[in-house]
Amino acid sequence: MNDVKALPDKAEIIIVGAGIQGLSLAFNLAELGVRDILVLDAGYWQGGASGRNGTLIRGAFSSPEWTRFFAHSCHLWQGLSKRLGENVMYSRRGYTMVGERSATAALLDRTLEVHKTCGINSSLLTSAQLREVLPALAHERVSAALHLPDSGVAPHHAAMYAYRKACEARGVAIHYRTEVTAIDRSAGRVSGVRVGELRIACDTLVLAGGAESNRLAQLAGVPLDGYPMRLEAMALEPMRPLIGPAVALLDRLCYMHQTARGEVVGGAEVAERPQSTLNADVPVMAATARAYLEMFPQLGHARILRQWAGLVHISKDFGPLLGAHQDLPGLFVSAGWCYGHAGAPAAGELLARAIVSGEVDERMRPFAVDRFERSQPVVEPGIVLSHFE
Amino acid sequence: MSRANLRLSHASNEAVVFFWNGRPLQGRQGESLASALLANGIRTLAWSRKSHRPLGYSGSYVAGVLARVNGVPNVRLDLLPVSSGARVEMQNCWPSPAFDALRLSRLIPASWIQGGFEHTNLVPSGSALFQRWEALLAFLAGVAKPAERAGQVAVPAARYLSADVLVIGGGPAGCAAANEAAAAGRSVVLVTRGQTLARYAQAAGQACPTLDARVQVVTGAEVFGAYREGELLLAAPHDPAQGALALEADEVILASGRRACPPVVPGMWLPGVMEVRSALIMAHAHAVAPGARVVVVGNGDQEAVAKRLRELGVNVVAARPVADLRRVVGYGQVRAALFAGSVACDAVVHAGPWLSEASLSFQSRAEGLLQLREQRQSRLRAVGSAAEADQALPVAPRSRHKALLCPCFDVSCQEVEDLIAQGITDLEVIKRLTSCGMGPCQGQPCWDALRALVSARTGIALSALPRPTLRPPRRALSVAQAAGLADVVEPLQ
Repeated sequence: MNDVKALPDKAEIIIVGAGIQGLSLAFNLAELGVRDILVLDAGYWQGGASGRNGTLIRGAFSSPEWTRFFAHSCHLWQGLSKRLGENVMYSRRGYTMVGERSATAALLDRTLEVHKTCGINSSLLTSAQLREVLPALAHERVSAALHLPDSGVAPHHAAMYAYRKACEARGVAIHYRTEVTAIDRSAGRVSGVRVGELRIACDTLVLAGGAESNRLAQLAGVPLDGYPMRLEAMALEPMRPLIGPAVALLDRLCYMHQTARGEVVGGAEVAERPQSTLNADVPVMAATARAYLEMFPQLGHARILRQWAGLVHISKDFGPLLGAHQDLPGLFVSAGWCYGHAGAPAAGELLARAIVSGEVDERMRPFAVDRFERSQPVVEPGIVLSHFE
Repeated sequence: MSRANLRLSHASNEAVVFFWNGRPLQGRQGESLASALLANGIRTLAWSRKSHRPLGYSGSYVAGVLARVNGVPNVRLDLLPVSSGARVEMQNCWPSPAFDALRLSRLIPASWIQGGFEHTNLVPSGSALFQRWEALLAFLAGVAKPAERAGQVAVPAARYLSADVLVIGGGPAGCAAANEAAAAGRSVVLVTRGQTLARYAQAAGQACPTLDARVQVVTGAEVFGAYREGELLLAAPHDPAQGALALEADEVILASGRRACPPVVPGMWLPGVMEVRSALIMAHAHAVAPGARVVVVGNGDQEAVAKRLRELGVNVVAARPVADLRRVVGYGQVRAALFAGSVACDAVVHAGPWLSEASLSFQSRAEGLLQLREQRQSRLRAVGSAAEADQALPVAPRSRHKALLCPCFDVSCQEVEDLIAQGITDLEVIKRLTSCGMGPCQGQPCWDALRALVSARTGIALSALPRPTLRPPRRALSVAQAAGLADVVEPLQ
């Protein structure tokens, strides 16, 4: 866990970004037998979105593409403590999508059909079932609720600790506070990176820099879809268990859960001009508070401990940008993540396989980096996010 | 427990009966619930999260004054006046305050619970037991029962106030700054935490300023956050039935004074240790003494504080420099203060080391995409003691007596020293590994203690150890109050 180590002058694979994407990829590469993996990060451990997210693990969405990918990731989360040898505290406490408008109830009906075709364990809850799963909810406001019993939450600090430990145990070199300032190419392919004056040679480079992805692509001289965007969350003062599963309040673009520390953590999106800052603002806190108050009246008196912002990289269709970059041999990308915490185990596994064997898994293929150039975006109507119009 | 009478001679004669864990107690008009409980000999008001150490009214650690009041969890007893029939219940007890099995937690070895129970591989996720184990952790960590279900909580309407000048703090410096601006014909809003102006100055026996009648005053409200590069400030009244305030002004004057930060010395978390402002205000306004035998420590102010406390009727048995304090002795409450020799006492009042409130200036100056650092010019102009430089926090040398950095979360110096030995000195990383400062006080004063400790043990200058991000609203704002802000603060378009 020491941050002060000498950098090598070459590595087999360099990963830029030591968030959960970079670490999951490094772990999976090491498991496939790659030695000499170097992970560089300009920030501090857990300083980026991997240490600021809502920690929800949602194993199914409303489109088959998202559902197949995230169902696989959710499955991996369930066995991750064993695989990494450290407790990631994946809590299989269920994930309930709550609709209030009738249009949302219709979306949940269609979503259930998608889940059936993908073999997902999910169900529309009857009013009595919902009362059992979420007794504290304002049931009179609910039009429909879809429940995913295998989904849940995993605290990001536990996952980041476990991945880091597992990587280091396998000889992966991880350097925080180490900013890549240039990317070298020669003979039409990636040849290394620069950290200030220092040059580190490599044949394979992966950009997993979260909100910094566009800047990193620019260093590599390649185009990349997407833009950085601030998301915000807040934590309430701890209380004994009141809210069991993770919850998405779809009509309020709000997600939330109660952590194992008793804090209710979540956030609601508001329509604002995309911001690129780590400073938090007022409207998200106010909208989140209103959602809590109306949907969970017992939270009305609770006090807000803290609010914070994180930066994610948002693609046109909100889906990840995952795989080889079409314009530069040797360059791979894991970007566009707004559900990156949930998706990290699958992304790391599938991208590692793509890098080592060249095999692109069917679950990863729809999220190819060049899909917008091919006019093949992935339409996912069931996410708790929107572009600013 | 000694039942010495801690009520001072200027206490009100008007008795008020309230209930502590179902037992009727007598308070006096003008007392807060916290001081009324202390006057009844009750020093332990709450329990720390993991090890169930007793916590009391300290003026530093908010967790020590949180209790359930009339069915609402986590109410600050130091801010609530005692009222007839109030039902106050201790939290973090199971099955009941009278028979609390959770107190056995204090026997759990510290190494088992480092970093919050999370990093233990005792029960990894994916195993059959995990969900039940997690439910147990959530119960223990949750501390307080949720509020009763009683229909919709009303949203108090938020208010928007703008003026030429906003003054934060109603002490002598804040009043002087407000008067000056008002005399120059500028519109002024002054926001103060106290229900009256200059509580601390009055308690300390200093002259009480008169405020220009043109100044618009908001009392009993905490300015808890600076947003949008310091252009927008938010405040919340202590009374949750009143709406939050959004404040904008051409000039913002920070006159919030300084607070005394507990030195990093074993035993400072014990019930009976008190920050000097809280102690003086309590002795003066509530007419309750911090203890029957009080030791005052300070950074030069100790004699003056001791004199003032004596004037108010408090029995001060010693006044010493804070740097000489080696340890506060006691298991469940203060028994003695240990200097070169031991002084028997039941309360220690620390007047210093003095630090100014860092949150608002941090938030108005913070910038950065990888880490928020104080980079911008501050819009806030500090006046009075808030403008003075922070004093160094004494750090006791390593010893077998455990000093706590963050009593609410039971984070000890030793836990941090173990991380330093691994080469970890980044405060943001230490915060994430230990949960230091993630409780109700949100790092104030714990991160100041953490910085001082890391600096003392590594030799790294304080200036090279930036504070972890000071995040609002530090529990100043309730969910209902926050909901009201949606009507007065527009998203950025």
